[in-house]
Amino acid sequence: MTKQIQLKQVNFQYPGGKSNVLKDVSLEINKGEFLAIIGGNGSGKSTLCKLLNGLIPHYYVGDFTGQVIVNGLVTTDHKVAELSHHVGYVYQDFENQLVSPRVLEDASFAPLNFGFPDYIQRGKRALDLVGLHGHDDEFVWQLSGGQKHQLALAGAVSLNPDILIIDEPVAQLDPFHAEEVYKILEMLNKDHGKTIIVIEHHTEFIAEFCDQVVLMDAGQIIWKKQTNDALKEVDHLLASKIYPPQVTQAAYQCGQFKNNELPVRLEEALNQFPIQLNNHKDEFPRSNYSHLAERDKLVELKQVSFSYKMVNRSRKKVLKDINLDIHHGDLVALVGNNGAGKSSLMRLITGLVKPEKGNVYVEGKNTRNYSPEKLADTVTYIYQNPEEMFIEDCVRKDVEFYLKARKVPGYEKIVEDVLRQFDLTDLQDNDSRLMSGGQQRRASLAIGVAMEPSIILLDEPTANLDIATRKHITKLIDSLKEQIISVIIATHDMQLVAEWANRIIVLHEGEVIHDGDRESVFSNVSLLELAGLKPPQILELSRKLHMSPLAYTVEEFVHALKKEENPSGIYTEII
Amino acid sequence: MSKMKERYVLTQSQKMMVFILSMSLYGLSNMITELVPSIQLGPIELSIEYFAFIPLTLCILFHPLYAAIGAALGEVIFGEIMLGQFGGFGELEKFIAFSLAMFIAGSLVNDPTNKRQVGIAAIIGVVIHQAISSVVDIGKVWIGVEELEAVPGLAESVVVIEGFAFLNDVLFSGILFALLPTLYLVPRLYGKIEPLLGMKPRNNTIKFSMKEVIAPRLIVVGILLACAAFFFEFLSEAGFNYEWEADFLEIFGSWFIWVSIAVAFLVALITVVVMIKNKNNSSNDNDNERLSS
Amino acid sequence: MEYTRKLSEKLSVEQVKIELLNTAYGNGHTFLAKLDPRTLFIWYLFFGMAPWFIHNKPVLIGLLVFMVITTITAKISPLIILILCLGLLGQGGYLLIASWFFGGDLSVILPLIILTMKVSIISLASITVFCSMDPEKLSNGLLKIGVPGQVSFSIAYGYRMLPSLLEEYHHVFLSFRLRGKAPMKHGFLYWRTIGYFAKIAVLSFYPLLLSTAKRARTTVEALELKGSFYAFNHPKVKKIKLAHLSFRSRDYMFLAFSALYVFTLFVAGNI
Repeated sequence: MTKQIQLKQVNFQYPGGKSNVLKDVSLEINKGEFLAIIGGNGSGKSTLCKLLNGLIPHYYVGDFTGQVIVNGLVTTDHKVAELSHHVGYVYQDFENQLVSPRVLEDASFAPLNFGFPDYIQRGKRALDLVGLHGHDDEFVWQLSGGQKHQLALAGAVSLNPDILIIDEPVAQLDPFHAEEVYKILEMLNKDHGKTIIVIEHHTEFIAEFCDQVVLMDAGQIIWKKQTNDALKEVDHLLASKIYPPQVTQAAYQCGQFKNNELPVRLEEALNQFPIQLNNHKDEFPRSNYSHLAERDKLVELKQVSFSYKMVNRSRKKVLKDINLDIHHGDLVALVGNNGAGKSSLMRLITGLVKPEKGNVYVEGKNTRNYSPEKLADTVTYIYQNPEEMFIEDCVRKDVEFYLKARKVPGYEKIVEDVLRQFDLTDLQDNDSRLMSGGQQRRASLAIGVAMEPSIILLDEPTANLDIATRKHITKLIDSLKEQIISVIIATHDMQLVAEWANRIIVLHEGEVIHDGDRESVFSNVSLLELAGLKPPQILELSRKLHMSPLAYTVEEFVHALKKEENPSGIYTEII
Repeated sequence: MSKMKERYVLTQSQKMMVFILSMSLYGLSNMITELVPSIQLGPIELSIEYFAFIPLTLCILFHPLYAAIGAALGEVIFGEIMLGQFGGFGELEKFIAFSLAMFIAGSLVNDPTNKRQVGIAAIIGVVIHQAISSVVDIGKVWIGVEELEAVPGLAESVVVIEGFAFLNDVLFSGILFALLPTLYLVPRLYGKIEPLLGMKPRNNTIKFSMKEVIAPRLIVVGILLACAAFFFEFLSEAGFNYEWEADFLEIFGSWFIWVSIAVAFLVALITVVVMIKNKNNSSNDNDNERLSS
Repeated sequence: MEYTRKLSEKLSVEQVKIELLNTAYGNGHTFLAKLDPRTLFIWYLFFGMAPWFIHNKPVLIGLLVFMVITTITAKISPLIILILCLGLLGQGGYLLIASWFFGGDLSVILPLIILTMKVSIISLASITVFCSMDPEKLSNGLLKIGVPGQVSFSIAYGYRMLPSLLEEYHHVFLSFRLRGKAPMKHGFLYWRTIGYFAKIAVLSFYPLLLSTAKRARTTVEALELKGSFYAFNHPKVKKIKLAHLSFRSRDYMFLAFSALYVFTLFVAGNI
């Protein structure tokens, strides 16, 4: 093992900052490691990574002491430009690091800038390496989110660095693409010997792909351990608001394992938990939604088709002949691949776009005849990116904007209540865009709820959040059912789907392929595969253990297990 | 201008950020105003001429030079090149006029929290820009039409039409899309947008009495000085730090020399043309006589 | 309402993307498009400037004919030319009418026609040249004649970011519409409605200023990592990037022919 990166007693403070972001950090990373850095918000993860490519101290001129050595180069003695031949970096907001109009141009941008005559070949090689084929002459904005991430990665490997840093690959991608990215990283690590460093809080990915874990807290490194040992430190992790893999949590809560026996991967857990043999025979419930149809209809879609013009002037069909009713009390999860038509379906209900064929009725009003402004009294749409909801300069003004524009009497009271409901009372004078991701999400929900709609549409409300914040947001969404007649969520977050929805609509290539409750979805393996859905790990475990009914949360799983074991007398530990 | 350096020092990357910010936003606004149709009532055009408040705001909040150049370049790129409407020399003239006007407006403000200063700067920025455009347009007719004075009514009508357009733009676009939005945005963004770029807000330790600035003679002198300052900044301060600096000196410098050669060539050409005109007056008269006879 | 809907369709992100693609992949196959950008610049340097100083009618007519021919060779869409002509005629018309108020007579018409002719020559020259260059070629050409690397970078960056920026603007604009309240009455000549939309159009830039500032930070960091600043200072990089630009025989022939034509015109015009 050769030491590739060495940090010695590093302290750093941003210019104008109040305290050190990094405190006495010492760390060694060997060549060929696949390392995950975990830690809460503000623990210094990104700052640590920016030490490695010299952005600190060359670019951020703060107070820097200590020494960083990368590939034998002391970072203070070498320029960022030199160090970038050794370290590649993919940002969390990777879209902004793509600066050239076309794909191949962007991949060969760095080699060109450093004066390699064969810059085009280098760019092509990088694109090959990350598996982005056949898009060379396309414009960057023609790519999907996942492809853009691949391109950013290609840009980072184009100079053939030994070290790659990826900041939160999962945050901006759906679960399917996140796994793709990790597979590419694994290949770069195993086949090309690159050292990979990821900032990550999805421990299930860490368990699957990484071999080392560094835990940071408040600017200090708590420890660096092998993944298998690291993820078993459940107390440490939870203290930093990091949730271990669900199987680990379940085993930990059962209390019947010693810490070093905790499983961290699904396969290990399968060996460690007993198969549940006493279940009644598996019977897959069919689509069972029809019997609820007597309730009042809120939204009706009648033979709706929709398509949009693509850049090559052909029209892409995104929804084909959809018939759907949304009733009072429906908590709908709209799931399916990217491009399955989820967003288009929601936009049709808001009236922002009109169907190509067929009609959409909201509370009996045909959306063709009403402007989106009118429909906004009934329907609220909350964007995936909360920043696009913020039009004022502080949270409170944003929340009251709608009510104030309509001069609703006594709106102050409503605003106060909503702010309290979403824990925003203390933040009400802050500018929404300068808040953290979770706070922004809360503010965007508050804005929607303050409009007092009958139906609220949420686009990926839990995307880009760490798990602790995600749990909080899920709880807030759950509290909506008291005030809103119906809620529709488009999401990839199967944990949210499993815990919250009473109706799941599965879209696939513009068609509704399933409409039912969670049992009917999650017990149907072929449906899950077809629609590209990845159920929560705990659900997967309970299904493989033939548990019935299925456990949708860690708590349910532990509860079921205890009920199972207590009567048989095997399980006697006292909690 | 050395004062400005003292009060406000930016690193290379911060200058680049200001430049990119100004370029992309003003460019975007320009594309939008290009695409929005205008209402034409005869010669009066009630169009959204431009969203001058964007560069004005940025020039006031950040380093005026980089925000001004960025905005002017953004206009050319987003509003012209990308829509396939690049117009050659016309763009060069717009670029210089606009960046100069915005730069002066930004330099006039020492205290972004002072509403009066901000408002006056915003209007002055628009006035300078429109004045330069009008003068250039009148100049074109003057050069383009042989013996403008000899054609009855033409000279006056050109001046009147340009003057009217000037007033129209200053009063309509100037107030609605420069003065009011700038007054709204600057206090809101001051102290809020700077940390996003990793810099400190422009401080307001240097103050001067507005009366001095308003005195007409000072305005003229100020504009001249600012022109000089602008070119001075352009040529020497230039670098988006020292790496850009070298580059700017090397490339922008030589580019600028190229432009000044072009300008010198133009001046020379005009002189020659005027001289030839005067010389040939007699022969021209002969021609006219021949025609009329 | 109908009008705003049409307008928002016209301003839709997809539509602008299509527009951009058209310009980017525009006229790649004409004779002029195959010329080196420097040739076109030299050509434009004369035809875009000289007409101002030429007062000889036959020469101007000859130049106009030449410009019409090159415009046709460049396969410019007739719509662009039509718009140009209408604009020029309109401008001349106003001047004509205004000059009569100041005691002008029919003698104003001739100088105005000449002025319009000059402006037409210059406009056609610029349309010919710049429509024959896609933005990439233009940016390479500018780089070659010594315009700083920042400019050609900015063109590329514009192409990269415009759709995202426009999309974000669009969303913010929609947020204003959906949460705000449009005026109940349109008012005289729709002024209330127009005013409402103009106000939103302006206000929407406040959020965009902040979010673009965030973007700019990552972008500039990435530029640093990808060696942009290194490239700005190393002429070698420029050489590699522009290696494909070269004068060919058709460039020389085109310039020689143009020079010959102009020379003949001057000789013929002064007889």
